Amino acid sequence: MKVKKTFHSLTGKFILSIGALMIVGSAVFWYFLIYYEERGFIRNAEKYGYSFADVIRKSIRYGMLTFQPHLVQQTVEAIGSAEDVMRVRVFDCNSRVAYSSKKDEKGIVLDTAKSFCMDQYPKHTEIREALSYSDKKDRNGFKVLNMLTPIYNEPACYTSSCHVHRRGDSILGVIESDISLSVMDKTTKEHKIAMILFVFGFIIAISVVLCKILWNTVSVPISILTKGMAEIAAGNLNYTVKIDTKDEIGELAKSFNAMTVDLSKAKEKIIEWASTLEKKVNEKTEEIREAQAQLVHSEKLASLGRMAAGVAHEINSPLTGIVTFAHLLQKKFDAGTQEREDIDVIIDQANRCSNIIKGLLEFARASTADKTAVNINDILNSSLNIVRNKADFFNVKIVTNYEEQLYCVKADTSQLQQVFLNMIVNAGDAMDGKGTITVSTKNITENGGDFIEIEFRDTGSGITDKNLVKIFEPFFTTKPVGKGTGLGLAVSYGIIQEHGGNIFVKTKLGKGTSFFIKLPANKEVL
Amino acid sequence: MSKGNILVIDDEDIIRISCKRALMPEGFEVKTAQNGIEGLKMIGEEKFDVVLTDLKMPEIDGIEVLRLIKQRWAEIVVIIIIGYQTVDNAVKAIKLGAYDYIEKPFTPEGIVSVVCRALEDRKK
Repeated sequence: MKVKKTFHSLTGKFILSIGALMIVGSAVFWYFLIYYEERGFIRNAEKYGYSFADVIRKSIRYGMLTFQPHLVQQTVEAIGSAEDVMRVRVFDCNSRVAYSSKKDEKGIVLDTAKSFCMDQYPKHTEIREALSYSDKKDRNGFKVLNMLTPIYNEPACYTSSCHVHRRGDSILGVIESDISLSVMDKTTKEHKIAMILFVFGFIIAISVVLCKILWNTVSVPISILTKGMAEIAAGNLNYTVKIDTKDEIGELAKSFNAMTVDLSKAKEKIIEWASTLEKKVNEKTEEIREAQAQLVHSEKLASLGRMAAGVAHEINSPLTGIVTFAHLLQKKFDAGTQEREDIDVIIDQANRCSNIIKGLLEFARASTADKTAVNINDILNSSLNIVRNKADFFNVKIVTNYEEQLYCVKADTSQLQQVFLNMIVNAGDAMDGKGTITVSTKNITENGGDFIEIEFRDTGSGITDKNLVKIFEPFFTTKPVGKGTGLGLAVSYGIIQEHGGNIFVKTKLGKGTSFFIKLPANKEVL
Repeated sequence: MSKGNILVIDDEDIIRISCKRALMPEGFEVKTAQNGIEGLKMIGEEKFDVVLTDLKMPEIDGIEVLRLIKQRWAEIVVIIIIGYQTVDNAVKAIKLGAYDYIEKPFTPEGIVSVVCRALEDRKK
């Protein structure tokens, strides 16, 4: 499995292909080298073969000329006994073995020299020595060089005293010699083995070196990069690959690290965007929820107002009856009588009803405000002057914190005074007549519009969450029965709404409450 | 001899009765009508010094009654009875020639005083 993996790896493929190429290349090289070397050996062997043949011819010449067969035979035997000389024969023109290094061959007729003799060649024709490799091998299986060297007729031959040869004969015989080429074969074989070993050694060495180089420059960095990729894929964007080479792999690693940094930044940005988006969505949702709550609240108050107006209108007439007849009855009884006191109670309670209805109708009535440009600071001052002299405010410290360059507001002075008085009296009540009321004004620019904001802050008991949602509803009061109608804030709310403004509360139990009134304003200052 | 002849036009019994009971002991002759049409018919038949009319009535409302009275009988003093939320209409009524308005719920003294004041001003 591991071997298979190695073959499939880049290094394995490289080594396999380079090895295969080297084997093929080396084999071709090796083949031609051996081929040419062998040819060189053969050429040398031939050259030495000719020399050898010449030596034989010259060695036996004397014996032949002096017609000493015995000497010739001895010479042939001596030459034939030399190392690697397998056989030396001398044929006469009848293809009969005249002399041989092997004595027992003498007298045998063989076809070997026939082609040279038998007068097939014209006289004086230059006949080349014949040289061939015989198929036969020596006893050790080495090649054998077989040479046939003609013995030419020459004047010394046909003029010698023996008179054996005629003048007309051109070739007198043939010397055949067999020389073993064992040295050449051995050398060639050794060369082949050396070459094969060299080639294999070379291939192995080259493969090892290549393998090492490829392993260090390709496999290891690629496996580092692969690991890096896996880390990135697993989400570890802080992972960096450590390859410091200056080659293409090094460049790739640099690009890879730059990519992971970019990815990491992009991911951070996406997370940041996501969280910002979530925050924004939450903010918007909160805004919408508040606006919706405000709308629902306004609608609720508006429908309450309509209902209150209807009820008030319907009650007005019967109340008129009660008031009228009570007054008529009152005149019939003298002061001090029980009846007179009872009727006085009826009249008082009817008047109380009348006041409640007036408040209700004020809360619900259509706008009849007489709006002029006013300075809110002035209205606040006159409202504060009214309460300062009231006994309830003797122990209340009133602090003003006005914006001197306060924008002017188009408003109905008496209606705003009613609202401000309401706020101040409520603040006083919340503190049980003891504490500090801070009245502040400031300019605000919001969503391209100019506004002024008035804050009435008290150091009273605060408002519970349960009560906070109801404070602007008509008839909601925390004051003792008979002290408050529960219409003050409802009426204030209606008036501020009529002026295109808004009224809202911030409160902390035990610490106090702030009522904020926001009114649209002009940048002019009165 | 009555102090003046007064017509009260209101669709509500209690207002008509209240006005009658408040004004009659003071020496006024008081007649009542349930709606504008009846009231105008009575004005056509009889001479009235003062007409007290409600503003909000079915068929013909107080403003229309006032307009018609002022067209034909300009000398009659018209006082408007209003609910609180109809102050705008009261202002409109005064602009059309009404002498004054009186808000419900009113006291006997309140209505007597406004009627007396109206008649005195009329004499002038």
